[in-house]
Amino acid sequence: MNGGRERSVMGASGAAPPAGVGADSGVDSGVASGADSAREPILRVRDLNVDFYVEGEWFPAAIDVNYDVRPGEVLAIVGESGSGKTQSSMALIGLLPSNGRVSGSAQLDGKELVGLRSSELHGIRGAQIAVVFQEPMTALNPVYTIGFQIVETIRAHRSESPKQARERALELLRLVDMPDPETRIDYYPHQLSGGQRQRAMIAQALVLDPKLLIADEPTTALDVTVQAEILGLMRDLRRRIDSGIILITHDMGVVADMADRICVMKDGRIVEAGSARQIFYSPQHPYTKLLLAAVPKLYLEPVDDADRSAPAPSLQSEGAPSAVGANAAADGLTDEPSDAPVLVAQGLTLEYPRRGRTPAFRAVEDFDLVIGAGEVVGLVGESGSGKSTVGRAAVGLLGVHSGSLKVAGCELRGARSADLRRAREGVSIVFQDPGSSLNPRLPIGQSIGEPLLLHRVARGKDLDARVADLLEQVKLPASLRNRYPHELSGGQRQRVGIARALALKPRLLIADEPTSALDVSVQATVLDLFSELQREHQFACLFISHDLAVVEMVASRIAVMSKGHLVEVGGASEILRHPREQYTKELIAAVPVPDPDAQKDRREALARTSTA
Amino acid sequence: MRHNRTPDPMEPTLHSDRQPDAVPDFASGVVQDDLTAGAGENAIELKATEGLSQGQIVRRRFLRHRGAIVAMCFLAATVVLVTTSIGWGPIPGWWKHDYHTTYPIAIAGGRPTLQISFSEGVHIGEHPFGQDTVGHDMFAMTMRGAQQSLTVMVLIGLLATLIGVIVGATAGFFRGKVDTLLMRFTDMMIAIPVMVIGLVLGRWVNGASALTLGLALAFVEWMAMSRLVRAEFLSLREREFVDAARVAGASNTRIIVKHILPNAVGVIIVNATLLMSAAILLETALSYLGFGIAFPDISLGNLVSEYQSAFSQRPWLFWWPGFFIIVIALCVNFIGDGLRDAFDPRQRRIPSARKMARAARKLAAR
Amino acid sequence: MLAFIARRIAIGVVVLLGATFIVFMMVAIAANPLAELRASNDPNKEFLIARTTDLLDLDMPPVLRYFKWLGNLAAYLWGHGTFGTSIVDNQAVSAQLVVAVPTTLKLVFGSVILAILLGVTVGIVTALRQYSSFDYMTTFFTFLFYSLPAFWVAVLLKQFGAIRFNDFLADPKIPPWVVALVSVIVGGVAAMIAGGRARTRVGIGGVATAATAAVMIYVSATGFLLRPGLGIVGVTLTGVGVAFALTALNTGLGNRRALLASLSTVAAGAALYIPIQYAFLYASWPVLLGLWATSAGVGIVAGMAWGGDDKRVSGRTAALTGVVMSVFVFADRLMQAWPAYVGHSRVRGRPIGTIGAVTPELEGTFWLGVTDTLTHLILPTTALVLITFASYTRYTRASMLEVMNADYIRTARAKGLNERTVVVRHAFRNALIPLATVIPIDIALVFGGAIITERIFAWRGMGTMFIVALREGDIYGVMGYFVITAALAIAANIVADLIYAGLDPRIRVNA
Repeated sequence: MNGGRERSVMGASGAAPPAGVGADSGVDSGVASGADSAREPILRVRDLNVDFYVEGEWFPAAIDVNYDVRPGEVLAIVGESGSGKTQSSMALIGLLPSNGRVSGSAQLDGKELVGLRSSELHGIRGAQIAVVFQEPMTALNPVYTIGFQIVETIRAHRSESPKQARERALELLRLVDMPDPETRIDYYPHQLSGGQRQRAMIAQALVLDPKLLIADEPTTALDVTVQAEILGLMRDLRRRIDSGIILITHDMGVVADMADRICVMKDGRIVEAGSARQIFYSPQHPYTKLLLAAVPKLYLEPVDDADRSAPAPSLQSEGAPSAVGANAAADGLTDEPSDAPVLVAQGLTLEYPRRGRTPAFRAVEDFDLVIGAGEVVGLVGESGSGKSTVGRAAVGLLGVHSGSLKVAGCELRGARSADLRRAREGVSIVFQDPGSSLNPRLPIGQSIGEPLLLHRVARGKDLDARVADLLEQVKLPASLRNRYPHELSGGQRQRVGIARALALKPRLLIADEPTSALDVSVQATVLDLFSELQREHQFACLFISHDLAVVEMVASRIAVMSKGHLVEVGGASEILRHPREQYTKELIAAVPVPDPDAQKDRREALARTSTA
Repeated sequence: MRHNRTPDPMEPTLHSDRQPDAVPDFASGVVQDDLTAGAGENAIELKATEGLSQGQIVRRRFLRHRGAIVAMCFLAATVVLVTTSIGWGPIPGWWKHDYHTTYPIAIAGGRPTLQISFSEGVHIGEHPFGQDTVGHDMFAMTMRGAQQSLTVMVLIGLLATLIGVIVGATAGFFRGKVDTLLMRFTDMMIAIPVMVIGLVLGRWVNGASALTLGLALAFVEWMAMSRLVRAEFLSLREREFVDAARVAGASNTRIIVKHILPNAVGVIIVNATLLMSAAILLETALSYLGFGIAFPDISLGNLVSEYQSAFSQRPWLFWWPGFFIIVIALCVNFIGDGLRDAFDPRQRRIPSARKMARAARKLAAR
Repeated sequence: MLAFIARRIAIGVVVLLGATFIVFMMVAIAANPLAELRASNDPNKEFLIARTTDLLDLDMPPVLRYFKWLGNLAAYLWGHGTFGTSIVDNQAVSAQLVVAVPTTLKLVFGSVILAILLGVTVGIVTALRQYSSFDYMTTFFTFLFYSLPAFWVAVLLKQFGAIRFNDFLADPKIPPWVVALVSVIVGGVAAMIAGGRARTRVGIGGVATAATAAVMIYVSATGFLLRPGLGIVGVTLTGVGVAFALTALNTGLGNRRALLASLSTVAAGAALYIPIQYAFLYASWPVLLGLWATSAGVGIVAGMAWGGDDKRVSGRTAALTGVVMSVFVFADRLMQAWPAYVGHSRVRGRPIGTIGAVTPELEGTFWLGVTDTLTHLILPTTALVLITFASYTRYTRASMLEVMNADYIRTARAKGLNERTVVVRHAFRNALIPLATVIPIDIALVFGGAIITERIFAWRGMGTMFIVALREGDIYGVMGYFVITAALAIAANIVADLIYAGLDPRIRVNA
C-alpha cells in the first residue's frame, strides 16, 4: 500500500529520472513538458479506493490510488483486465455500478468529486469531465442521430438554441475530421464506420471544452489503420484544447504513441508511475518489466540478435521458432522434400450462402496459398478481410464455392462427409474465444477427448491416459480434467483448446486469433507454449491474426489479406521490412510500437510519406 | 444473478458483445452465456464457483430464490395431500368419504366443519370443505378435481414440451427449407387462439378422461416452446464449441444431443413450467365452459362452473376449487421464476444497501 | 416498403388459408350436428336432419366443404352472397358478425389501453426500483394475476364489484376501518415507490396516507358517490396538477416555457368551462371529438405563443395537458348525469351492470347512454385488465432492465444528462422497441380470446358467437368467427413488423 503511494508521489513530484534517460526530455511528443510540469494539476487524486460488494463481502478494485493530471498532459493508466484501471476512473464521475463504492479524495480544480450529490455531478459530467468509451457502436444510442446526441450534450449544460448548438456540433465534427460533416451529422450510429463513430464520440466528448477527458480504451475496438487515424486525431486535438487526458489502455503501443506520464496498475494498486520515458526505458517494478517484456514487438529495422532479445528476457525462447521459420523460408520449402504441402489453395473463392433474403456474401475471392509440412504461415488482415473465413474453410466448416482447396491431401471442394472426416484427421483448429469454444456443459477432459473418441482412436482407460498426456503437454495438471470451462481462467481455457486441437496429432493446425482475447502477459505464455509444441510436433500451422507483432514471433512466412483478396505473400522479415504493396506498407506503418522514441520516428516518417 | 462471477463489476465491457437489439424476453431465459468474458487470470473470478458443475451452480442459485423454495414446498404438500387423501389408483386414501356418494348433511346448510382458531387449534370435522345441497363431500370432490387438473397439467407440460423441443430443434438446427416449412406451420397454429383449438379439441374428446384431454391439449401449447427452442438452437449452433465438435468429427445427432441440447436446457425447463401454469388454467377454463372434463367426472373447472350460482348461499363451494387452482398455478409460476434466475447468468442480484453496509462494518472491524 | 408489405400480406394469406383449413377440418371432425338430432324423438326429426344437412352441406366430404366455404367467402368479399348460414338462428353468418364484432371491439378496446398504460408504468417503476420491496411485491402480484382463472375472477367481480357495491351505494358511508386500511396501504406503496433516503420515504408515505384518508372521508361525509361532480374548481385543480405532472415527465420542470404553456391551456379550459356546459346539451360523439381536437389545438397554440427554442416540445406538452383536461371536463359532465341514471326506472338504484352491454330499453339523453355503457363496461374491463396487465408489467420490466445495462445509458449519464432524460429519452425509447411489437399481437390475442369474459358477463360478442356455434356444431358460424380473429392476428404481426421498422432506425424494410 505504502509502496504504491510512494511511487506515485515520486511520479507526481517528478523525482530525478535515471541518468541518461531523461536527458533529452525536451522533445517529448510535442509537448513542452518542462513548462507543463510547472502548471497546477487540474485533477488531484489521493488515496482513492474503490470496492465492490460481491457475495456478502467487499472486494477492493482500486487501492490507494494517487495521481495528478495537468492541463495538456496525457496520463496513461496501463494494466491488464481486472487491474482496476477503468473503475478507478469511472469512480471520479460517479459512474460505478450500484454495488460499487468509492472513498478517498479526487479534486478537480480544487473541487472535491468524491461524495458529490448527484445533482452537482450532473453539472460536472460532460461539461468538465468528458468520457470517450471503448466501443462506439454500443456507446452511442442507436435510435438517435449523432447530431442529436451531440446537441443534447450541449443543451443539457448550456442554454443555447437548437440552431446554435447544431452549429457547434458541426464545428466539432469538422474538428475531428469527420468526412462530409454536414451530411454525417444526421446519420445514425449504425450508418457510420467504426472510425467515424469514434470520431463522433470524441466530438461529443469535446463539445463543451472539458477540463479533463477520460478515454477508456478508445481504440481497442478498431482496426490498426483506423486506430492510427484516431490516435493521430487525439494527438492533434490535445495540442489545441489544452485539456488533461486520462488514457486507459492495455496496449503499450498506444501508450508509447500518446502518453506523457504513465501509471502502471496491477490488482488495484499503482505499482509504478513516472514519465513515459522512465517507464519504457528504465522500468523499476518487476511487474512493469514483465509487462513490457511480454508485449510482442515488431522489429522493423534489421537488428542484430543480441539487441533483439535484450528487452524481452522472458521471451528469449521465441527466437527459436523464428529461426526455424527463417530456415524454412530460406530453403524455399525444400526442408522436407518427402512431404507434400499440407495445404494448397488455388483460386479459392468462398461464399457465405444465401440465407432467406440475405444475399450470398463473397468473403474470399481468388485466394492462392501453399503451406508446406511443418511450416508456420501467418495470415494477417483487418476485420472483414476474410482471413478467418479461410481458416474455417480449411477445416471444412464452410464449403468451397469455387477454386480448389486441398488440405492434408484431401480436396475439400465438393467434399462429402466421409471425405471431411478423413481430412479432419489431419487438420484441426484453435478458436479465438476460449470462453466460447469449449462446451460449458462438458468437463474439459471430455472436450479434449472428443476427437479421439469420435475417430475411434482411444476409449475407456486409454482415452483417460491420452487426455492426461495432452493436458500435461499444454502444462496443465491432469487433475483439471473434471473441471468445467467456467472454472478456468482465459489462458487455461485456451491451453485446453490447444490440447484438443493436438489430440489427433494433426499435420496442419489452424490457429484463428488464438491469443487476441487474452491479456498480454497471458498471451506471452500461450505463444511460448505454442512455439514449443510446434517445435516438438512439427505440425504446419496457419496462424491467423490481426496483430503483426504476434505473427512475426511465430511465423516464417506471412500472407496479407484485404477485403477478401490476397495482397501479398512472402517471408516474414521480407514482408515486414520490405513490403511491396501499398496496403501492406500502410498496415505496418499503422502499428504503434511500444517504444516512445521509435514510435515518434515512425510517426514522423509516416507523416512525411502521406504528405509527399 | 451474476454474482457468481465476481469480475463483473470490474469488467464494464462484458456486455459490449451483446446485440443491442436483442429482444429481451422474460420467458426465454439464457440468451447468451457470459463465459465469453475472458476476464483473464483473475483470482476473485474463480472464487465463488470453484469445483462446481453447471448443474450444481444452477441448483445453488435456485435454492437462494426464497419465493421458489416456498412455492416448491407448497406444491409438494398439495401434491401429497391430493394423491393420498382420497386415494389415487393403487395409492390407498385415508379420507373417510369419496367424491360420488351423497352423505347426510352434517351442519345445517352444508357449512364447512373446518375450524381454525388460536384457542382450540385445527378442527377438521366431518366435512371440512362443506357439502353441496344433496350432500356431496366438498373436500373429496376438490381432491378429485385437483387430481384431474394436475394430471392434465403434467401431461400437457411434458407432451407439449416434447413436441415443441422436437419441432424447434429440427427447425433451428437444420435451418433452410425444413425451418421455413416447420415455422410456417407453427405460424398457422399460432394464428389460431389457444382457447379456440382448446375448445374444438375439447369438444372432440367431449366427456373424455383427463388422459385424453391432456393428450389433445398438448397439441395446443407447443408452439411458443418450439419458437424459443428454435431461437436458442439458431444462436447456439453458431457458437464456436459447436464448430469445434464438428471439427472433432461429431455427427449431427451427437451435436444436437450432446452439445446443443444441454445448453438449451435452461430455456426448456423454464418454459415448461410456464407452459404448465398456462395448461392448468386452460384445462379448468375448458371444463368450466363445459368442453373439458364433464360430470359425473370432476375437475376444478367444472366444480366452479357447477357451484357459481350458489355463491351467495354456499360460497365455500366456490372458494375451495378456485383456491386450489390458484395455489397450483402460482406455485408453478414461482418455481419457473426461480429456475429462470438460476439458469440466466445475466440476472444479477443487486444487494440491498443494508447488506452492503453490514459487510462494510465487518471489513472495517477486521 | 410497399414490396415488403405486399410480401408479408402474401405470406399472411397463405398462413390464413392453412389455419382456416386446419380449424375447418378439426371442427368438421370434432362436432357432428346430426348426432343429437338422430338421438332425439322429435316428430320433425327427418325434416330437421334434412334441413341441417342442406345448410351445412353435410353430404359432401369435409375437404370439399372447405373449398366450397372458401369459394363463398371469396364471393362475399367480392360482394356476392354470404359465406354460410348459421343453423343456430338461421341468420347469415355475415349478419351475425356485424353485431358481434363491434360488441367485442367495445369490450376489448378500453381494457387493452388500460392494461398497457398500467402495465407499462408499473413495469418501468419496478425496473427502476429493481430488488426493492416494491419490486418484490409487484412480482408477487403479477404472478398472482397470472395464476387467476378468468372465470373465477369474473364471478367474484360480479359478486363484490356489482352486487355488494350496488348495495353499498344505497347508503355510501365508508366505515372508518376501511378508510384507515386503504390510506395506510396507499401510503405504504407510495413510500416504497419513492425510493431514496428513509426520511424522504417516510415523508412521502405520510403525505400519501393523509391525502387518501382526507379524500375518502370527504367522499363519505358529503355523499359524493350519490351526487358526484368536480365543478369548475375541481376541474381546474386537477388540470393544474396534470400540467405539472406532464411537464415534469416530458421536459422537466426546469423548462418554464413548457410549464407556462400547459398552465395557460388549463386556464383556457377553466375559462371555457361554462360555455362548454351549453355545448354539451347538444352532445354527440362528433361534437365531443371536435371539442377534444380543439383542446389539443389550444395547447399547441399556447406552446407556440410562449415561444422559445423548443416551441414544439412546449406545444406537445400543452396539447397533451389540454386533452387530459378535456377528459376531466367530460368526466365531470358524466358525473352530473349520475343521479339521473341511478334513479332511472330501468336502473332502479343498481347502477353497476353485470349482464350484457347495455340496459335494455333505456331511454334518455346522450349522457345517460354513455353512463350506461360505462357501467356495463366496468366489470368485464376490470376482469380483462387484471389478467392481461401482468404480462405487460413483466415484459416492460425485463426490457427496461436490459436497456438500463446498455453502454449507451452509461454514455448518457457520462454526458451529464439528468436521470429523467436518461430514463425517458434514452432508456424508455429503446425499451419501447420490443414492447411496441408485442402490443398489436397481444390486442389480436385478446380480441380472439375474451371468450370467457364475454360468456360470464353475457356480452353477445365474438366469443359468445363462437361458443354457441361450436356447441351446436355450426361449422360456418365457427369459421365466421375464426376467419376474423385469424386475419386480425396476421394483420397484427405485419403491423408489429412495421412498428419495429418505424421505431428502430437500424431496421430497413425493403423486401
